[in-house]
Amino acid sequence: MRKYLSVFRISFAREFAYRLNFVMWRVRNVMQIFFVFFLWSSVFSEPGRVVFGYDRDKILTYVFGILILKAVVLSARTVDIAGEISTGDITNFLLKPINYFKYWFTRDISSKALNLSFAAVEAGTLYIILRPPFFLQTDPFLIFAFLVSLVAAVIIFFCLLFLVNLVAFWMPENGWAAQFLFIGILTESLSGGLFPLDILPQVIQKVLYVMPFPYLLFFPLQVYLGKVPAEQVTVGLSISYFWVLALAASLNIVWNKGLRRYEAVGR
Amino acid sequence: MSKNSFAAVLANRFGAGVFFVGKVLRFVFFLGFIFFLLKGTNTLAGYTLNQTMFFFLTFNLVDIIAQFLFREVYRFRSLVVSGSFDLVLVKPISALFRSLMGGADILDFFTIPPLLIAIYLMGRSLDPTGIQIFFYLALVINSLFLATAFHIAVISFGIITLEIDHTIMIYRDLVALGRFPVDIYQQPLQGILTYLIPVGIMVTLPAKALMGLVSTQGVLLSFALGIGALLVSFRFWNFALTKYTSASS
Repeated sequence: MRKYLSVFRISFAREFAYRLNFVMWRVRNVMQIFFVFFLWSSVFSEPGRVVFGYDRDKILTYVFGILILKAVVLSARTVDIAGEISTGDITNFLLKPINYFKYWFTRDISSKALNLSFAAVEAGTLYIILRPPFFLQTDPFLIFAFLVSLVAAVIIFFCLLFLVNLVAFWMPENGWAAQFLFIGILTESLSGGLFPLDILPQVIQKVLYVMPFPYLLFFPLQVYLGKVPAEQVTVGLSISYFWVLALAASLNIVWNKGLRRYEAVGR
Repeated sequence: MSKNSFAAVLANRFGAGVFFVGKVLRFVFFLGFIFFLLKGTNTLAGYTLNQTMFFFLTFNLVDIIAQFLFREVYRFRSLVVSGSFDLVLVKPISALFRSLMGGADILDFFTIPPLLIAIYLMGRSLDPTGIQIFFYLALVINSLFLATAFHIAVISFGIITLEIDHTIMIYRDLVALGRFPVDIYQQPLQGILTYLIPVGIMVTLPAKALMGLVSTQGVLLSFALGIGALLVSFRFWNFALTKYTSASS
């Protein structure tokens, strides 16, 4: 355990090595929130308007919730794995008495801690500037279910990102391409980060809900907002944890196959 | 230079294919979002579904042409950091031209024709007059002047600070604020996006011109701003060159 605490501390410090990069990344996040905030403000400019089951309070809570949830769920250092495989640097870790999965999960947690602290400050600042109405959930069951779904979301994203990076075992030059498609496009669009998925027709929603993406941001936020009926919360959590198990099992299989394929090129 | 750039991209066909599919998917997802959003709300800031889609398509046109032409900007930092920019400076070709347009992006080249067809079809549904079409085309050209000025400013800033990657992405995020008409933003952000960081002039104004919502004076003022920005960016480039240290070379 102590070695992972050290990894956490070192990884946290490394994030500060490229301060300007980090600040710029956060600036970009804030700008995206500006875009979504004003878009929905415009839609809900008439007082008392309800669209897609959202009123102004709930949709603006959704926008601010996305800022926080993205920091918790989507902040990760695991993106660097493909580079380690293609350069052969992964060999260093294979020879050390450290679990590679736990190492990267610890680094992810460190990144999340840093991003979350910045996101909290940004959300606070934006709250003061924009003065949005805010929906505060008070039902203990929904708050508990929200936290449970959040844990699932963190693990699902870790497994998904790790799996996508393992493409580099077979195609060392294309790790970035797989990341762009699965993380940059599919996750961003289908997780609810860009817009609430319940504005889509029921048929499309049904297809989406069997995929892992909605359980990253959309489902936890829907639970928090109380937009999911109690019995559906259990169903949603079951699907989330099914994906946790399925992706963890797939990760284990692909990792073992990848290692057999690995030739330590460049070492 | 563009031939070399195309050949380099096509050398990794799988990666290029995945990247292309990703770009198309992103476009389709956002178009779908606009469609379903406007199906539920009927209007956005007073604009109909077709008008809102036209704003989005115009944003894409300006954004994609700029990426197609100025892709080399994304590779400029390594030239400056490694000192390889020396080799550009000593060649008998404009260093600015080489740094800005030395590697057109073939993937964006493929997306331009279908986008133009979509703009034509959507634009026709808005029933514009001849003068409105003329203003639209003129203002799109002016948008490219502004995009050129922005890219020159980014690489000039890069020579001075060595920071390009995030600056160019912040530029793209700013321009992306124009995916919808800037009318959706409240003041003072709307004013900033119109006059200070002229996203409104780059993206919203051409589409508004096609809808007959821009006067001749508005078009002329926009051109004055576009040409002015271009001249200022040239001066900034010349200033930045005097700060180039040739470090690491």
